[in-house]
Amino acid sequence: MLSYILRRIVATLPVMAIVALFVFSLLYIAPGDPAVVIAGDQASPEDVERIRQSLGLDRPFLVQFGSWVWRILHGDLGTSIFTNLPVSALIGQRLGPTLSLMMVTLLLTIVVAVPLGVVAAWKAGSLIDRVIMGFAVFGFSLPVFVVGYMLAYVFALELEWLPVQGYTPLAQGFWPWLENLILPAIALGCVYIALIARITRATMLEVLQQDYIRTARAKGLGQGGILFVHALKNAAVPIVTVIGIGIALLIGGAVVTESVFAIPGLGRLTIDAILRRDYPVIQGIVLLFSFVYVLVNLMIDVIYTLVDPRIRY
Amino acid sequence: MDRRTVLKGLAGAGGLALTGGLSAPALSQGAARTLRFVPQANLANFDPIWGTQYVVRNAAAMVWDTLYGIDSSLQPQRQMVESEEVTDDGTTWTFRLRPGLKFHDGEPVLSKDVVASLSRWAARDPMGLMIKALQQELTAVDDRTFKWVLKQPYPKMLYALAKNNSPCSFIMPERIAQTDPFKQITDYVGSGPMKFAKGEWVPGAKAVFEKFADYVPRQEKASWLAGGKQILVDRVEWVVMPDPATAAAALQNGEVDWWESPIADLVPVLKKNKNISVDIGDPLGNIGSFRMNHLFAPFNDVRARRAVLMALSQEDYMRAIVGDDTALWKPLPGFFTPNTPLYSEAGGEILKGKRDFDAAKKLLAESGYSGQPVTCLVAQDQPITKAQGDVTADLLKKLGMNVDFVATDWGTVGSRRAQKTPPGQGGWNMFHTWHAGADCINPAPYTAIRANGDKAWFGWPSSPGTEKEVTAWFDAKNIDEEKAAVARLNKAALEDVVYAPTGFFLSYTAWRKNVSGITKGPLPFFWGVSKSA
Repeated sequence: MLSYILRRIVATLPVMAIVALFVFSLLYIAPGDPAVVIAGDQASPEDVERIRQSLGLDRPFLVQFGSWVWRILHGDLGTSIFTNLPVSALIGQRLGPTLSLMMVTLLLTIVVAVPLGVVAAWKAGSLIDRVIMGFAVFGFSLPVFVVGYMLAYVFALELEWLPVQGYTPLAQGFWPWLENLILPAIALGCVYIALIARITRATMLEVLQQDYIRTARAKGLGQGGILFVHALKNAAVPIVTVIGIGIALLIGGAVVTESVFAIPGLGRLTIDAILRRDYPVIQGIVLLFSFVYVLVNLMIDVIYTLVDPRIRY
Repeated sequence: MDRRTVLKGLAGAGGLALTGGLSAPALSQGAARTLRFVPQANLANFDPIWGTQYVVRNAAAMVWDTLYGIDSSLQPQRQMVESEEVTDDGTTWTFRLRPGLKFHDGEPVLSKDVVASLSRWAARDPMGLMIKALQQELTAVDDRTFKWVLKQPYPKMLYALAKNNSPCSFIMPERIAQTDPFKQITDYVGSGPMKFAKGEWVPGAKAVFEKFADYVPRQEKASWLAGGKQILVDRVEWVVMPDPATAAAALQNGEVDWWESPIADLVPVLKKNKNISVDIGDPLGNIGSFRMNHLFAPFNDVRARRAVLMALSQEDYMRAIVGDDTALWKPLPGFFTPNTPLYSEAGGEILKGKRDFDAAKKLLAESGYSGQPVTCLVAQDQPITKAQGDVTADLLKKLGMNVDFVATDWGTVGSRRAQKTPPGQGGWNMFHTWHAGADCINPAPYTAIRANGDKAWFGWPSSPGTEKEVTAWFDAKNIDEEKAAVARLNKAALEDVVYAPTGFFLSYTAWRKNVSGITKGPLPFFWGVSKSA
């Protein structure tokens, strides 16, 4: 197993290199010029050129790419063109809120979606099943920002139970941390809950028709034991796969959710950087997200072996 | 027990298991001493000379002081300066600083700091560049006296040092001001009434300013950037909110105290809230505009530009920008900010009265327009440009023009509008923007009105008549001469259609009723603002 993990980690290197080249090339050919944005409306073309030179943007593509890769290899993601702060520091500032949001959303999703899917499969065809699947369709259909606004209106403005916006670090207390994340996590989690509930239901339906489930019932095992010990464990591999793939959904959704709830996370940093053409920041974030995604896939592969002992690498 | 308490209890129980204990919520009795403010945009950098965005200027006005400050009557007033003298020939200015001025690091403000600061500012500011071109020497005479010797008089000297248009001539310590003006500073020490809390700065999310205890305010009443800048709170927290609906909800919920620029659509909701005050924020407002590229057909022919102006309905543009609130806009048959001393409607007939499409079409045909595509750049991520772009597309189509509508983002417009290549090869024919009214009160900061061809703003208009009157304004000896020059300038610029003004519009600002002392002005002034519990 250890050698497999090491092999996979080594295999991420070419993936990351391709991502790096792709991101750098894409930004190089994309329209827009940070020097123009920095120079402002009053600037002369000479001023813009001078800023471009000071940022090194006037150098040939290969020189810029080479110098960027060299810095990356030395652990330096570069400096933001606009804030003049290290990209790693900017990412560090924003990592906490985004990780918190994703963790709470993931937890909420697993706690809500898996039992819902199991119950829907158990009661397949019944009113309960239809209600749950109805909610799933609802969750799929509503955009994150619509859910966000609705939640903020009801729970923050009307009921005044929770704050509208912001983020409080965990170090300042558990409740202040959590109360800022409840609404965003629900908004972000809606589509994810819908997806996993449906997958769980479909997989469970298949498993519940297997012979060993009939045998378990014949042995007189209780419904809970059948569903959660025997059936769910065997249905877990596809569910875990979808949870992993869904991390990408979360990353995309976090961009919108963080804007709606004014959470200072990586999603907002990404949008700000793109709008201003802050190339080093965009490159740093995309590299980070790519790395996280590769890592999550690796984790999923490892989890397979835990939930299904037949899988060995 | 309400549900929030129950929720807190439940979460607290879970939290205890995870953290081993609860810390107090982030509330303190000092909440009333902290003013939470939602700025118009993100404070992405904090060098007011390097970055000329208004949001940087607004934040910088708290941290760095200026030698002079513009007041609400648009007159320059002494600020850091105690006195000034100018020789009879107008070429030598001698300034003396007020005693007791200190930087945030405790060091005194000296003439050498001023000299370095003015040198850096003069390398980037249009008025500064003019002074620099005339400069013989800028020297520190002693710790509190400095001298600016020019080769010829520059009558607008005090205005240049007082103006609120970006970049302002903020005074920094010499060690910071010696930074290349094209490189960003990293040390934010100033001598203004508030200190910048660099450690708490999260670009894109939060910026914090703390009261500077050693600041020595002037004795006069505060008026815009002039007078006694009394800070009545301990902290000002800027909370960046990219989503207007979130900002509106946060203001209603009491999570923030002051929202600089609520969008017009949300103002009715805010007005209904008994805890919120809403009023016009900046009486100098904004001027909507689109610029035509004077280098390429069809708009290289003044008849084509005039045809567009003849058919243009400013009401359509203004309603698209601010909606049906008629208190928020007015037609603008000229280029200068209404209700300011130099405002003029001379030559404005072309923008008044019923729109004459037949005459406009005839004039367009005379210009030789034969259906070639008109590349119209419209930034969709800026509500003002998007609204104007939609109206322009409709206007051009009604005139029988073939519109190549390029829906893009502001970053791309900013880059593409600098291209002088033909429209089909990466260039453009039109783009939309707007100008702060504060930048359009006279020709000095008004880059958009300049018509000196290659050196002019994007679109590169060439109008010798306009340029002649800009010079006349700079040379004017008194307000009457200034008014006459600007009236002639307005007429010439409209005749040559330097750009197309789409109207004058205002915007609101909104704050909680426990906040007092907010004044109308071209930027948010934090001096004199207090907050009760």
